[in-house]
Amino acid sequence: MGRKADPHAKNTTVETEPAEPASGISRRGFVAAGAAAGVGAAVAGAPQPTAAAEGEDWDYEVDVVVAGGGCAGLTAAIRAHDLGASVLVVDQNYDLGGRMLHSGSFLSLGGGDPVQMRDMAGEADPDGYITVPPVEDPAEVDDNVELLFTDVTDWSIVDTKAQSPYRYNERDMMRSWAENCPATRQFLMDNYVRFTRVNGTHGGGGVSRARAPYCFLMLGDVTDMRAGTITAEDAGVAHPERTSALAPVQMQDASSFVAPGAVRNGVALARPLEFSAREKGVKFMLHRHFDELVREEPFAGRVLGVTASYSPRHDPKTGELLHSYWQRGNVDERRERVRIRARKGVIVASGGHAGNPEFRGMFYPALREPAFPTSGYALQGPHGQDASGIIAGMKVGANLSGMQQNLSYPTTFHISTRLGTRDAYTTMMPGHPTFNFRGSAGINVGNAGFEEFIAVNQVGRRFFNEVRLPLRPSINRYPGGEAAGLPNAELDHVPNDWRNCRHEWIRQMYDYDHGLDAALAMNEGSEPPNYYSGPIWAIFDQDAVERTGWEMRFPYVNEDNGYYFRADTIEELANKIRAGHPFQRVPLVHLPETVATWNGYVADGADPDFEREADAPMNPVSTPPFHALSIMVIWHDSYGGLRVNGRCQVVDLHGQVIAGLYAGGEAVGGFNKHGLGKGHVHGYIAGTHIAEEMS
Amino acid sequence: MTLRRAGILCLALAANPSAGADEAELAASGAMLFERNCSVCHGDAGGGQAPVFPALAGNDVLADLPLIVGNMHLGVGYMPPFPELSAEEIAALATYIRTSWGNAAGAVTVAEVSLLLEGLDAGAPTRTIWDGVYGSAQAARGRLAYDGQCALCHGRRLNGAAEDPDMQSGPPLARVKFLREWDGRSLAVLFDYTRAAMPLANPGSLSDGQSADIVAYMLSVSGAPPGPEDMGTDREALARITIAAEE
Repeated sequence: MGRKADPHAKNTTVETEPAEPASGISRRGFVAAGAAAGVGAAVAGAPQPTAAAEGEDWDYEVDVVVAGGGCAGLTAAIRAHDLGASVLVVDQNYDLGGRMLHSGSFLSLGGGDPVQMRDMAGEADPDGYITVPPVEDPAEVDDNVELLFTDVTDWSIVDTKAQSPYRYNERDMMRSWAENCPATRQFLMDNYVRFTRVNGTHGGGGVSRARAPYCFLMLGDVTDMRAGTITAEDAGVAHPERTSALAPVQMQDASSFVAPGAVRNGVALARPLEFSAREKGVKFMLHRHFDELVREEPFAGRVLGVTASYSPRHDPKTGELLHSYWQRGNVDERRERVRIRARKGVIVASGGHAGNPEFRGMFYPALREPAFPTSGYALQGPHGQDASGIIAGMKVGANLSGMQQNLSYPTTFHISTRLGTRDAYTTMMPGHPTFNFRGSAGINVGNAGFEEFIAVNQVGRRFFNEVRLPLRPSINRYPGGEAAGLPNAELDHVPNDWRNCRHEWIRQMYDYDHGLDAALAMNEGSEPPNYYSGPIWAIFDQDAVERTGWEMRFPYVNEDNGYYFRADTIEELANKIRAGHPFQRVPLVHLPETVATWNGYVADGADPDFEREADAPMNPVSTPPFHALSIMVIWHDSYGGLRVNGRCQVVDLHGQVIAGLYAGGEAVGGFNKHGLGKGHVHGYIAGTHIAEEMS
Repeated sequence: MTLRRAGILCLALAANPSAGADEAELAASGAMLFERNCSVCHGDAGGGQAPVFPALAGNDVLADLPLIVGNMHLGVGYMPPFPELSAEEIAALATYIRTSWGNAAGAVTVAEVSLLLEGLDAGAPTRTIWDGVYGSAQAARGRLAYDGQCALCHGRRLNGAAEDPDMQSGPPLARVKFLREWDGRSLAVLFDYTRAAMPLANPGSLSDGQSADIVAYMLSVSGAPPGPEDMGTDREALARITIAAEE
């Protein structure tokens, strides 16, 4: 195994690690108390009391505190460290990467970035791994900052749900974002990230040009971030039902965008960045939840630091504390609460609010229903995307931005086609330390699979045409065209053209059924005070299993985790769901009657309730054993958050900068861009400017 | 429609009172044939899919009857041959596409088509996908190509579940629903569609051999049995293999 040979690998001894770079982090509390000297050896540097901190009871001091180690946080940390600051990242999870780690690594930047230029010239990557020709024609990647800025502030674009992804974006922030895209791409490449050929554009990244490559590694004999190689075991591709501690989601074939033997996904982005950060000397305090900002006055003065609490994650089966894949640079701190002084400032990069039902209920009250999680539930744990950064900012007077944009992006919430697991957004197989939090990988049946069952609500009633239930509005992205809601495709697209949203056009291309809203509707099981809509279930028989080839076994489903049930009668199935599912608050009293009615409709060839016969064949639910798989509504990512200026400084309700406070990524609002491109560039901008602050 | 052609059509209708009814009948059966054989590439409304699949709506070439009869029977470019279509069926199709979507190239008679088909060969017997039309080693090769080229969107289980959850779920490429969608079409249509239109991000990047291997893999996952020989890339031969939903 290559990992053993690698000095940064898990479980390597201290002797094989290179000398610790000077961190500049002091550990006042521990050293002053003279306690835990052995543990304290993990942190270099003598205590450095500072005048500014006098009278404050700080446990640690550092130039820059970054709250959150995902795409925005890791980028910001490396950038600030490169510019001379000492940096401590606190993250609530046991490992780094946030949701970048489970992403598809489809990193949409542009503005004439180095990868666009490379593909335009038809060149290979610096390593020479890429042997396939560019996917896009040179004209399709011929981009510039002005065009990118125009695209991401285009008022005229609507999607197939008649939502406007660019209209409400913050202008000042977007200008700075566009200007920093090319430099950020280069920065990532300088930190071991390797990009495939450009293949279109990711949602929210504009529609005039192709701007998004994936990140890749090459399968090889060793896992080596510097060389850009990974073993098949570490990549999770050696066995179809195993993944690894390095890669929570099995990596995907990238041969058509690189060369044979290339694999891609967020692992090829998050792990190289993390490796580089650790190698350079960034410090990390994991299992540590960012709670509050410390400001000189409640609503005035500089931000001085943060408070953060211990948030250990233990394996639900063994009870053991989880450990990060790499350990170098980790600060092992287990006190309940610590105060960390940030001499230059704090960067809030702690994610969005999709995992906080009370917070997200502001935007869609029905999604206060806690049965439905955000994506990455297992990977991130209960504090993932819990709005902590936004709430902490609000407590010191920060303004908010783009809160209504939660409702105007297709991935915000949708019904997953992965059934039988609570963690339904992504795949993850046994072999990753957090698999036990989900207990089953689920079965991804695709849209096509929804014709094989009836979908019922918490009282056992059908509520929508199953075939139309999972359909999502499409995402605006290059190459555009009617499927993306645009009257023109590819280079024929015209930004800021009134014809992009004339009402005749919208009537023609509108393409959305509100299955999700029906799934969240109140029903007779919705009780005060919360009126929760409850879980939803796919009900089918053994014939459906035979028709589809769905594998009703571990690790795909798990009869013990509350998300899959099997029984010989419908009545027994209903009883099992009631007894075994954590959010099934009422009995599915109508299920037997619903199944009988459905079977009658099948015999008649017509479904008077939802007109299913128009969309797909109807199959009876009649051959035991009968099966029930959970169907999940996922609120994936959120788009409202802290308001920042072009330097990623948080501003208050008077439009004034809150000194010493920066933010990036999903904690920031006013940018309806899905995914990574937003976070990395914010991190780059924030890291650049915070390093210039006086200590 | 030119004035001269419109005049001839009027004369014909005047001379034969039943001609209008025949034309309507032909066009109706042509519509069904079109949906089954042609709409995959040329679109339900004849709009085509630029740049590979030409639009039929507003296409001047349709006036050239010998050319379109020859194309249907023998194939051309990415268009597969349809050797099993009879003169009646070709006449119906030609009438439908020449009189639909604003086209005014006029109806076609069975006699006209029969005359044009006379010079073309009669063809070999038809098989279905259940007769062992691909090799098992070929399907294994196809799996490798599929995983690299297709699985991202169509899913590693060929069920349309995209590997990347940000992506839309796509059409399944195997099993019940796939077979239902393609039921009655020839393997040549599937083969030509695949090599011309896929992968979406980079159409035309597959070799013909890879396309055939991928189709073989799709058939194997769908339960169709392997046979003694690989599926070739000869579209005349592929055109004589029908995708039948059931054995």
